[in-house]
Amino acid sequence: MSAVKRALVGAVLSAFTFVGFTQTVQAAMIGTEQIHAANAASGDREKIGAALDRPEVLAHLERLGVSKDDAQARVAALSDEEAATLASQIDSLPAGGDIVGALVLIFVILLVTDILGLTKVFPFTRSRR
Amino acid sequence: MQGERGRTSPWLGSVFVWLAAMLLLAGCATQTQSLLMRGVPDLPRRAELSSTPFHPQERYQCGPAALAMSLNAAGIAVGPEALVSQVFVPAREGSLQPEMLAAARRNGAVGVVIPPRLDALAAEIAAGNPVIVLQNLSLPLFPLWHYAVAIGYDLDAETIVLRSGITERLEMPLSTFENTWARSGYWGMVAAPPGRIPVTPGEAAIVDSLVAFERTAGSAKVRGAYQAALKRWPDNLTLQVGFGNAAFAAGDLKTAESVFRRAADAHPKNAAVLNNLATVLADMGELDRAADIAARAVALGGPWQEEAEATLRSIRSARKAGVGR
Repeated sequence: MSAVKRALVGAVLSAFTFVGFTQTVQAAMIGTEQIHAANAASGDREKIGAALDRPEVLAHLERLGVSKDDAQARVAALSDEEAATLASQIDSLPAGGDIVGALVLIFVILLVTDILGLTKVFPFTRSRR
Repeated sequence: MQGERGRTSPWLGSVFVWLAAMLLLAGCATQTQSLLMRGVPDLPRRAELSSTPFHPQERYQCGPAALAMSLNAAGIAVGPEALVSQVFVPAREGSLQPEMLAAARRNGAVGVVIPPRLDALAAEIAAGNPVIVLQNLSLPLFPLWHYAVAIGYDLDAETIVLRSGITERLEMPLSTFENTWARSGYWGMVAAPPGRIPVTPGEAAIVDSLVAFERTAGSAKVRGAYQAALKRWPDNLTLQVGFGNAAFAAGDLKTAESVFRRAADAHPKNAAVLNNLATVLADMGELDRAADIAARAVALGGPWQEEAEATLRSIRSARKAGVGR
């Protein structure tokens, strides 16, 4: 009886120590993203930077008029590299949107450059080349 | 007189400076010239993906419209309206490139940037992939950033065909297109269905895009993409791991085991691969082989030591429990 009890206590104790270990590291598959990152030799500094990029992008997007829920889903979809690009360049990256705000002067210049085939602002121009 | 001159001359002067600069720039569509003169072997003289659907854009919404057209061409049913909340940035009145790529992934396509070259653009179209291009239709001074979808070209007529803005079929001289495209650094992307790997991006670009795709879309959707990419780059470690992990997640232990075994043969010093192989073997009930492999992973040390030790411990305790049974 006491042998069984001792075995039981031993088992419980070893289970506890085991749990203690596995709290930090799970015995499991290592993810593709982790192995890829280690393989690409991205340093720890980059990883720390990446951790800070996402909250920053989230704040930027909200400031630029994106709703909180949308912004969260959008940030979650970014790769680390994309998050880093947006965190540092969100105000300077070109925003493709087809903004038509040409003034008269610009209109004339662009008309000429359209005809030269350098630009294509107006649907009615036909490039000479 | 003095005052009048002061008012008009900077105005006129700058116009002349611009015009002079434009004339100097007029002959700089160099990629077009080399593409037309030298050509590219195996590239058809003309191609057009005329079945690509068309969504005319709303004001400022060329990003969602271009993305929807490209996703539709990849067989993914989504309209521009649904994409507005995924890419449009209200205060910027437009959409940004990283988010165009991310949104392609969110909707189940692999978004990849193509090499910044006209011949790469043409090669993707010839391979059946419409290309989303970012153009500055205006001059760098008053930019007019615009996303369009390139769906065709004709090297003899020297034209490119775009789905652009509210024009379903915009034919533009290649040299004009190059001038507008060059201002974005020749930025173009393909949103490809997971089983079809775009033809022009290099190994690193494709692998990065698939890892990002796995993060967003999950392992079930990315499995076919890893498999397709492995056909082109059979020795790539990340692709092997990705495919093996996806097979494991789907419960296909046999495939996972053979993939990781091949990866371990090719990369015997990679403890992460050995760790995953050991985990798969343990799940298959082959505890002795699993313990051997895990012990090899532990012996290698390095950044995966802790994970390998945990795997070895759990295999050993499973083996003990098995012996008791």
